Amino acid sequence: MSSITLTINGQQVSAQPGQTVLQAARAAGIDIPTLCHHPALTPSGGCRVCLVEVTGQRALQPSCTFPVADRMEIQTESPKVVRARRFVLELLFSERNHFCMACQMSGACELQALGYRYGLDHWVYPTYTQRFAVDASPPHHLMDHNRCVLCRRCVRACAELVGNHALDLRQRGAHSMICADMDVPLGESSCVGCGTCVNVCPTGALVDKRSAFMARPEDVARVATICTQCSIGCGLNVVMHRGQVLRLESRWDAPVSGGLLCRRGRFEALQDQRPRLLEPLLRENGRSAPASWNYALAEAARHLDQESSQHLGLLTSTRLTNDALALLRAIFVRQLRAAHRGAIATAAPELPFTLCGKLADIAGSDLILLVEADPVRDQPVASFFIKRAVDQGTRLVTVESRSTDLTPFAEASFLPRDMAIAVDLIQAAAKPVILYGAGLQKSEADLLRKVEPRARFIPLVPGVNTVTAAALGLINHINPTACSTLFIAAADENGALDQVAAQIGRSAFVIVMACYASPLTERADLVLPMATWLERSGGFTNTDGTPLRAHAALPASGQSRSDWDILGRLAERLGLDAGAAKADLPRCGA
Amino acid sequence: MSKVLIATDWLAACAGCHMSLLDMDERIVELLNHVTFTSSPVTDLKHPPESGVTVGVLTGAISNTHNVEVAHRMRARCTYLVAVGDCATFGGIVAARNLVGTEAALKRAYLETESTVDGLIPDSPELGRPLPAVTGIGEVVKVDIFLPGCPPRPDDFLYVFSEVLAGRIPVVLPSQHFRYD
Repeated sequence: MSSITLTINGQQVSAQPGQTVLQAARAAGIDIPTLCHHPALTPSGGCRVCLVEVTGQRALQPSCTFPVADRMEIQTESPKVVRARRFVLELLFSERNHFCMACQMSGACELQALGYRYGLDHWVYPTYTQRFAVDASPPHHLMDHNRCVLCRRCVRACAELVGNHALDLRQRGAHSMICADMDVPLGESSCVGCGTCVNVCPTGALVDKRSAFMARPEDVARVATICTQCSIGCGLNVVMHRGQVLRLESRWDAPVSGGLLCRRGRFEALQDQRPRLLEPLLRENGRSAPASWNYALAEAARHLDQESSQHLGLLTSTRLTNDALALLRAIFVRQLRAAHRGAIATAAPELPFTLCGKLADIAGSDLILLVEADPVRDQPVASFFIKRAVDQGTRLVTVESRSTDLTPFAEASFLPRDMAIAVDLIQAAAKPVILYGAGLQKSEADLLRKVEPRARFIPLVPGVNTVTAAALGLINHINPTACSTLFIAAADENGALDQVAAQIGRSAFVIVMACYASPLTERADLVLPMATWLERSGGFTNTDGTPLRAHAALPASGQSRSDWDILGRLAERLGLDAGAAKADLPRCGA
Repeated sequence: MSKVLIATDWLAACAGCHMSLLDMDERIVELLNHVTFTSSPVTDLKHPPESGVTVGVLTGAISNTHNVEVAHRMRARCTYLVAVGDCATFGGIVAARNLVGTEAALKRAYLETESTVDGLIPDSPELGRPLPAVTGIGEVVKVDIFLPGCPPRPDDFLYVFSEVLAGRIPVVLPSQHFRYD
């Protein structure tokens, strides 16, 4: 489309038809202040801070919603505009409690910044003396209505980004209040606790409990990395203060998730209370004792080298980095030819279809078929994508043996034996997307193969790097009982470890590489302490095949080391070229 | 040229603003080449001279009738009145009382506190009577310059004094001297 020209503050600016005045101005480097506006949300024009003077318009117009037109003339800081903006700010400050000195947002508050910018050195209107509720019922965040400016960013984020619609506004005018569902406490509402609202709140109304009042905004640093809690690999910022992690924050320019995080990724990832493993431990004469890395690795290499292929087992987490998984393949598949190889999370689906779909395709599809997957539980951000699409009119059809939290959103739900009907629906759709999970049976896969040229297939796998692990042939069924030497790369896996520990033969020699102490490390003969997800860098391939990169925010605790570091040293002790191992890595998505 | 006279006083305040004023350290010596502090709560002379001063500095909120008198006296005796700190400009921490009401605050503080035995709400005629609501001083007297901050930093005081000495009134606070916290 041809661009149009408008004049902003006397400066010629070209813009695209359909853009708003705000977009055109910001693209030209002209700053118009905003409060209710957020780049990730639909503009609502509610706060009136972005008012501008448009020649020919009777009243000042909100630039965030006002569309550009050819030869439009705009003033963004004329005396009339500044007067109006000050008036708006004076009114905003007069409602509720905006005493900055007792607010944890002070320094990062957008309302405060506007007060400074427009010189509000005192208040013109008397302020409220009414006290509003503080809703601290959710486990990880709280809502202080006293700080709320009713910008509705949280309402829009919950609806537009998360597709959850838990928040809304009740009452009118000065009595307006943000509320959850039919005005119940947040913790009892349909809130999924993802904290997206906390991230978009411009003031101190929505607060992360863990990091509130912990550091001044100017004293924090941010490290961009990815979440490794599930296989989506959402981008996030680790907010740091003096070497401590304060909180995890949305990264709006992140690939795949575009800033979304779920409760697990934003909050629970920092709540891990399991005891860390801080030094290598070696069991000798029945007693486990600290050992040096040199000795521990030498012992590991000796035991692995001595064992026959038939009795050697590798059990790996799918939460290791690409390099670590490639090293596992080099050591256990190429070099030692271990007969038993498998993944700790066995709930990974077979990947019978080419990875042709991307999670971003969900938004543009007209029909989503969800086969034997429970993204609400396993990949929450994928469920946000699905709910958003359903809001936009996309049809959701599920094929499942058991209903999930997404079933109520589905237009139709079928049992696996009725897969043929679902296949007919896909054939009638224009841009179908098929999301399949671990329960997908071969017979159902065969039926789906019919629509393979038309549909986009996206697996929903468990661990963050399951796709790479599968491509490297590390996911097979394994029977730990048959192994007399077993290497377990447990990483930070939580569930299933007791079960694994119980299956191991009494006389087997067990080497465990893990971040945290568990029944498995109790049983182990040799423990190699591993750095956590916050302490290691490395590449991953997420569930739709997108290559992602994690960056360490913290130094490794104690003597623990990154997974690829430990395995690289082990490979060298076994006489392998650790660097060459990477050649096995599939070029996923690149 | 004779020195510019400055008087300071405090209302419902924590003294933090005056501490911050003194925190300008050795720069106060240079400042004293240009100004004379006639009176302040931290010097022997407490009240602004009847003959008047050029700059009157008030810290603290309007909380009781005594504060109103002090504010009016300063207003009457100075040319430019500077409201310093969040309490003087907005009501500040003192205004937290507004959230519960004066009656309830007095009862809680003097009668219901866990450690109180035979409590009594002070009622001497010599004391100022608490007002129904706490406000900034702009609510009772005309203020010429507002300097918010809890407290404003020494640099902020110096900036305001130097602007006033240079005759640049009204003072517009640039961003580095502007803070609410």
